[in-house]
Amino acid sequence: MKRTIITTAVAGLALVTLTGCGGAAPTTTGGSDPSENAGGGSDGGAQQLTIWNWGDADEAAAAYTEDVKAAFAEMHPDVTVEIVNQPFDQYYTLLGSAIEAGTGPDLALYNGGTQIKSRASSLVPVTDELADLRDQLAGWPAFEEGGETYSAPTFLQGFPIYFNKALFEEAGLDPETPPATWDDLTSSCQAILDETDASCFALGNKEGLGIEFFLSGFGSGIFTPEEYDAWIGGERDWTSEHATQVLQMWADSSADGWYNDGANSTAMFNDSFDIFSAGDAAMVIGLMSGTAHWKQFDDFLGEDLGFMMPPATNDGTTVALPAEGGIGYGILNEEKKDLGVDWIRATVDHDALAAYSLAGGQITSDTTITLDTDIASANEIVAELPGSKPLLHTALGADELDLLHRLGQQLLIGDVTVADATAQLADAAKG
Amino acid sequence: MSNYATSTRTLVTSGEGAGRSRGSQAPRRRRPWNAERLAPYLMVLPVIAILVVFRLYPLVLGVNFSFTGDGERNGQFVGLDNYTYLLHDERFLASAKNVAIVLLFVPVQVFFAGILATFIFLKVPGHRFYRSVYFLPVVLSPIIIGAIFNIILGANGPFNSALGAISIPAVDWLGLPATALPTVLVVHIWATFGMAFTIFLAGFATLDAELLDAAKIDGTNLWQQIVHVIIPSLSQTIQFVFVTTTIGMLTGLFALLYTMTAGGPGASSYLPEFLIWKLNGEARPALASAASVFLLLIVLIIGLIQIRVLRRATKEA
Repeated sequence: MKRTIITTAVAGLALVTLTGCGGAAPTTTGGSDPSENAGGGSDGGAQQLTIWNWGDADEAAAAYTEDVKAAFAEMHPDVTVEIVNQPFDQYYTLLGSAIEAGTGPDLALYNGGTQIKSRASSLVPVTDELADLRDQLAGWPAFEEGGETYSAPTFLQGFPIYFNKALFEEAGLDPETPPATWDDLTSSCQAILDETDASCFALGNKEGLGIEFFLSGFGSGIFTPEEYDAWIGGERDWTSEHATQVLQMWADSSADGWYNDGANSTAMFNDSFDIFSAGDAAMVIGLMSGTAHWKQFDDFLGEDLGFMMPPATNDGTTVALPAEGGIGYGILNEEKKDLGVDWIRATVDHDALAAYSLAGGQITSDTTITLDTDIASANEIVAELPGSKPLLHTALGADELDLLHRLGQQLLIGDVTVADATAQLADAAKG
Repeated sequence: MSNYATSTRTLVTSGEGAGRSRGSQAPRRRRPWNAERLAPYLMVLPVIAILVVFRLYPLVLGVNFSFTGDGERNGQFVGLDNYTYLLHDERFLASAKNVAIVLLFVPVQVFFAGILATFIFLKVPGHRFYRSVYFLPVVLSPIIIGAIFNIILGANGPFNSALGAISIPAVDWLGLPATALPTVLVVHIWATFGMAFTIFLAGFATLDAELLDAAKIDGTNLWQQIVHVIIPSLSQTIQFVFVTTTIGMLTGLFALLYTMTAGGPGASSYLPEFLIWKLNGEARPALASAASVFLLLIVLIIGLIQIRVLRRATKEA
């Protein structure tokens, strides 16, 4: 018996040694040329453009893709566009491996913020090529890194605060003047808790996303504009007065009973938004595009749906709608830069975006589009776009964000002190 | 099912027998490598080749991969860096601690399955009905079970309402660090004890009735029958159930964790398997490989210890 174990162990060790230490992921080889990519050749004059994305979520998205293809075909009738849909949960892993193996696409879809910024070194900058679109579109900062632009935002994502006008009225509050300061918000919450059966805010924190929405949703009323810009620029200090204040406010809001029962065991998508839609919570920090947005809430609340700006918490702050470019295509193949730029232009085609905006419930980056809808909150959001600011949480690293999620859950139930959480986050931010 | 248990037993004994005889004969006689001697090796070659190519080789690749870096250091040999990182990682430490909690629940499941199987064996009224009822959850997908219990155990869910009816205050079972993992484990036991239960029933089928009768004639009471006859006779079944239950707990909780707690609150319900998935999602596959190697070692060591301990504990002294 013993001899068998030893023999097996020796054989195992020998196998490990024999296979060497190459690593399972393919590594970049010096001479790999992106133009040799599969489907990237220019044989016989007919050009092909290979594009990766994570597919169309619904019919409205599919229609938008068709519109974009049509707009691109007008510019380049002889170019074949091949769109490859990859599963979203493995998208960046697959893309990273493909790029390193030299089999990456010519263009790929990216989320704005951390996802595209951390991969900027593999992308072709298009700052000058898209310069003429700058005034027309909002949400550029999410696609900029080191002074260069890598894509154009197609639609915007952000964390607007929605509220239920009927519940405000029931609590004796004026639904037309939502709370403008943190003190107002605190007293409004107290009134809602006292006068109605609803909770003040709907919160789903099972995945730890709640604190991310809290930080970005209320951030502009807490941080001074200088602190805000420094944070986005990568200089954040978790031990600073205002960063600590965010964590304290998060802990206090829970201690004061603002949230629905069992927030830590409620899924944000879509259980917490269902709580708001059902009228069991007076407010929620939702999304602008994709899901949990004005169009979905309007289906349930109709006229009762309201939108409010983040309340001003500290002096010297300028409240702003937290929003940034949601997704956009980046160019990977230098040789097809011109075609790539035209594809990016097609994705922000005025008509395509306008059609998608209404059909899919998207707030698009194009500020010249007037939403032809009677959903008041949608138009109020669009009106705030010019002064919008990027989301604070997307500037965090993956490790730091995951830690924030866990600490958010622990703070909510008093399992960790604010001071301890601050110290842990400061450590993680150092890397 | 009874065939299953019997064949396992036969396999074990036949393996031992062959091993012994080989050990005593091999050093003395050395036959030449002729066709007759090669034939058996050639016959097992396809199976060995499949095992090596599809099981052993990927395993070795995974171990090998755990010694390389992620991100910028992709493909570079980093020695034990991934392992030292894990030893300082809060989530890894939490999942290691949670493995110990999981192990505490193994005897609970085995006892639960064993006692219910005993009742069925003793033919309590309605035993046919209960036999199928107990097995039913096994065929449900863990994702569905997770979704069902998410609703039942919700802060405002039916379970808390029932507790409220008898004046017990509501508990956010899945949202508190102290209750999240134990709750998931109880649901896991509910969902999977049917398999252990069935194996126990199969074990009872092989019980020697004469031995039990003899013990009765000798004037033993029920307790003495259980301790001196039933448990020793079922020793291999108990061992088998213990080991499979442990492996099931360590490697089969992912879907329930994913749907019920997502590892939270904080890192209070992280298990190695969930951590591996999380790390891979954070684009750190090499670190995830290192965590996988840890999980493999944990399962291996615990399994070996269990077999050893149980072999002693369940044998008649």
